[in-house]
Amino acid sequence: MFAEKACSLIKELSRCEEGLPPYNIELVKEVCTEIKQLHEQNKEDGAIVANESEIAGNVNPLYPTLRIGSAAVKRNIRCLLAYHYNRLRTLRTMRWQFGSILPPDIKTNLSSDEIDWFSKYSSCLGKYMRSIGEDGLNLCLDLRPPKSLYIEVKCLIDYGKFELSDGTVLLLKKDSRHYLPRSECEELITQGVFHHIV
Amino acid sequence: MDEIDIESALNEIENESDDEDEVQISLPEIIQLMEETWLNEKFSPEILPNKMEIVELLLDQITTLETNLKKLNNSDFKKGLYQMEVDRLRFLISSYLRKRLEKIEIFCTAILEQEKLRSQQGKDNYLSQNELQFAQEYDQSIKDNFESVMRFCPGIIETQIISPNIHSMVFLKSKENIDGIVIDDGNDDNDLIDLTTGAQVLIGYKSISNLVKNGDVHLI
Repeated sequence: MFAEKACSLIKELSRCEEGLPPYNIELVKEVCTEIKQLHEQNKEDGAIVANESEIAGNVNPLYPTLRIGSAAVKRNIRCLLAYHYNRLRTLRTMRWQFGSILPPDIKTNLSSDEIDWFSKYSSCLGKYMRSIGEDGLNLCLDLRPPKSLYIEVKCLIDYGKFELSDGTVLLLKKDSRHYLPRSECEELITQGVFHHIV
Repeated sequence: MDEIDIESALNEIENESDDEDEVQISLPEIIQLMEETWLNEKFSPEILPNKMEIVELLLDQITTLETNLKKLNNSDFKKGLYQMEVDRLRFLISSYLRKRLEKIEIFCTAILEQEKLRSQQGKDNYLSQNELQFAQEYDQSIKDNFESVMRFCPGIIETQIISPNIHSMVFLKSKENIDGIVIDDGNDDNDLIDLTTGAQVLIGYKSISNLVKNGDVHLI
């Protein structure tokens, strides 16, 4: 059936809501070939219909074929673009979560175009954030309204030394607990070094 | 602790240290304006005219406050309270700008077209200069990506422009007495309503989008 492969591309993406599945290059290629074939076929049929339409009162039997063909091309293209667009949106969310450097396990799931896009997005977002006020504002911080000044966090990995803005140096060990200013550890929480104990 | 107290206290230290105070509006007023702007942006379905002047005023104030805070002794009880308040202000600004970026990204092409129309008609742009640049770069990057996806068969690309649903319902609170708001629900028989100061209603956004933009009402 037409556009079945394109549909399965979309299904594959919607099954993993949180993460990003590997870029399915084979299926994308198959969908592309299908579009190309249909497009060629439509062009041929269209030419025949255009030639024969000069005969008055003739309802060409190719009309329905042509309609279905063109609908299938449109549907295929929409699915294909939706697949790529939604992957980019997920990537965008990741830019806000992880910062400008992607974890390697995610990077392996991307196509080269997507890696390009990510660095472009990252740089224009960075440029925008630097342009706010006099010396820029990091919008990736302060993601949630502050409830209290200090929060209790549990360290999930052996991180090593960590210097606070007032100069105190902490040694972060696995499973150690700390009571720190929220602004200092927000970044480490998103990176998964800390777990916020509520 | 009463929030207003902290704000006025903050204002005091700010005035003590800053003798040549050039800003005419006081900090509590800026904060109130910023809160209103933030709520409007948060609840309106479409992007609103930028209020970068308020953001910049508040950012300046935050910088001054932070320098003043550094002078306070660490063991001072007040320091914690002030720091908390500064953090909350910074969240306000970040959240406002983030919300705008989200809208710009999702409705990118639609917003850029509207902005182009506005420049042609000689109206003020809704986006700030930097936001506009971001929007253009973002739009271009998405289009580039689509084009490279469709590289195998050029010329048949057709994208759909996503635009906001300006008919969605919003809660608003009126700041003025406003008469004769036309409720635009797509039918011919349009109803009129009058709002008194402080009235709160649930209404379709399209009917009152102008009032939000000129500040007669605010969204809640």
